[in-house]
Amino acid sequence: MNGAVATRPIDRAAVEEFLFREARLLDDGRFEDWLALFDEDGLYWIPGLPGQTDRFGAASIVHEDRTVLRMRVRRLGHPRAWSLMPLPRTAHMLGGVTVSPAENGAVEAVAALQVALYRAGGRTRYDGRQTMLLRPGFGPGGGDFRIALKRIDLIDCDGVQGVMPVPI
Amino acid sequence: MSRPVSRSGDNSLPPPPGAAEIAALVEPGRVHRRAYTDRAIFDLEMERIFGRAWIFVAHASQIPGPNDLIRTRLGLRDVLATRDADGRVHVVENRCTHRGTTLCSVERANAASLVCPYHAWTFALDGVLRSVPHRKSMPASFDIADPRLALFRAPRVADYRGFIFASLAEDGPSLEDFLGDMTDALDNFIDRAPDGEVFQEGGLFRLEYRGNWKLHHENANDTMHPGFVHESSVNAAREDSRDYAEPVFDEHQAHVQMLSNGFSVREWQSLGLQGLANGHSYMDGFYTRGILSPDRDDPISRSYRDALEAARGREAAAGILAMDRFNNLVWPNLNINAQYQQIRIVQPVAPDRTVVQAMCFRLGGAPEGMFHRAVRFLTNLSSPASMIFADDAEIFEKVQAGLADGSREWLDQSRGIDEAVGNGRVASAGASELPIRGQFRAWLDHMAARELRPGPL
Ligand code: FES
Ligand SMILES: [Fe+2]
Repeated sequence: MNGAVATRPIDRAAVEEFLFREARLLDDGRFEDWLALFDEDGLYWIPGLPGQTDRFGAASIVHEDRTVLRMRVRRLGHPRAWSLMPLPRTAHMLGGVTVSPAENGAVEAVAALQVALYRAGGRTRYDGRQTMLLRPGFGPGGGDFRIALKRIDLIDCDGVQGVMPVPI
Repeated sequence: MSRPVSRSGDNSLPPPPGAAEIAALVEPGRVHRRAYTDRAIFDLEMERIFGRAWIFVAHASQIPGPNDLIRTRLGLRDVLATRDADGRVHVVENRCTHRGTTLCSVERANAASLVCPYHAWTFALDGVLRSVPHRKSMPASFDIADPRLALFRAPRVADYRGFIFASLAEDGPSLEDFLGDMTDALDNFIDRAPDGEVFQEGGLFRLEYRGNWKLHHENANDTMHPGFVHESSVNAAREDSRDYAEPVFDEHQAHVQMLSNGFSVREWQSLGLQGLANGHSYMDGFYTRGILSPDRDDPISRSYRDALEAARGREAAAGILAMDRFNNLVWPNLNINAQYQQIRIVQPVAPDRTVVQAMCFRLGGAPEGMFHRAVRFLTNLSSPASMIFADDAEIFEKVQAGLADGSREWLDQSRGIDEAVGNGRVASAGASELPIRGQFRAWLDHMAARELRPGPL
């Protein structure tokens, strides 16, 4: 699919800036704004198996489109969401970002990801690789990109896990 | 970190609690906190419950062929369920008899023998020691056939239509006697497959919470908690009005699963609870909407029903599909949801630590879409990021934390105690803590070696 758009040079700095801002929204608990970054058919996917390719034939830790993600975000603001009291705090760290062209003018941005999470009773850390499929964004507030896919492959995705209370 | 289960020969430890002391922890309507917090009680549970009762270890489809093995647990013991070349299933300890090394460090394997990674002692899949390198350096008394050199093996392994259980007791009730009427739930699980076989597929989750293992089963048939504990996901789903005819990628399963916990007081009361012997129990199903309702009617459900009718006949198929129960609990470690092809296994780790394994199954002969629904159900209800399980786990941790400092002596379990009377199978309306009382009757029977006392729960 090497149409005219695919040959447009990738603005690497803009991609990185977008990734950092997306992570910052999560760290700041601005979940509605975070949800708005997803494209209409955008997906948030944390596979349950290493290298998982089948989204429907094997269980995922998270596998949500905007309709489900919207409910998740609503729940995050609920006063009696027990696993969210007090609201966990996170600190995202992204490194080793690579960007490459994808189909239909989209950009694939891959990064190493570490998320430190603090909640009442303890700290957890999530380590893995984040793969984002980004489409050029349009419209006010849409920013430079829209998220078509945010995929996180945790190094211990099939290991023993505690509760993951907030999106990472 | 953990104290050994057996205290023999170690004078530094106090004697285990006696039968009278244990019996004093359980009264009809309340139970003492020590049952959840005390290490000595926990150790006794591992010895007398997980060391005696029938414990679910694996499904036959996880070790389908010769030399297949899966790593699982029997109480605190790290064990392997193996299928030898002749097709026989064994449950052997995953510990080398030379110096205790863990033999198998992967979750599943296919191997004709178990070779220790340290000095290469080699064991057959039934645990018998087959060879040791450099035999001539072993003492003259070394006898490779000495049973003490074989891997510790569960003396009883039995299979109910592919569901494999093991018991560390040499004798005791048969698996079928132990299961009693809970065989209905297993039968229904399997009978839902048009070709009569189910297969564990689609991955699995291992969820850890910082709470006692008993809390999971106590909660699973607690019909009163969902409206409170799951209020946030119920509300999130309620605010999201939906047209179920509209096609969406998950067929509205997340929405339906979250919404369904929001039943009213009247709905709790109309849900039936059944308490059975040996601590088992179940409740009526409560998914009445969309693709999770028993009478769902959509292209996938229809083609599935056609396949089941072709295999069993119309009437039998209707009977199979009509059984609508939720959380069939085989105490102490198995939770079955036949109509959604789900099971959970409860694995104690410490008095205040538990791992729950959650997995789904493929129905042999059913359309692929049915399996995808089972996978989706597993993600929604049992993933670490589940919006439903997260709140249950948080409550378990709050209970455990509340009991930890000893200021609160007793946990109440008296809800509905005036209502239900009966022997063996006891029915009650939904707002009862009958299942918890039944679990503690079985607990006491194991822990204080009492006779089962039939009577009101
Ligand atoms: S510890 Fe296993 S062979 Fe030595
Ligand atoms: Fe619950």
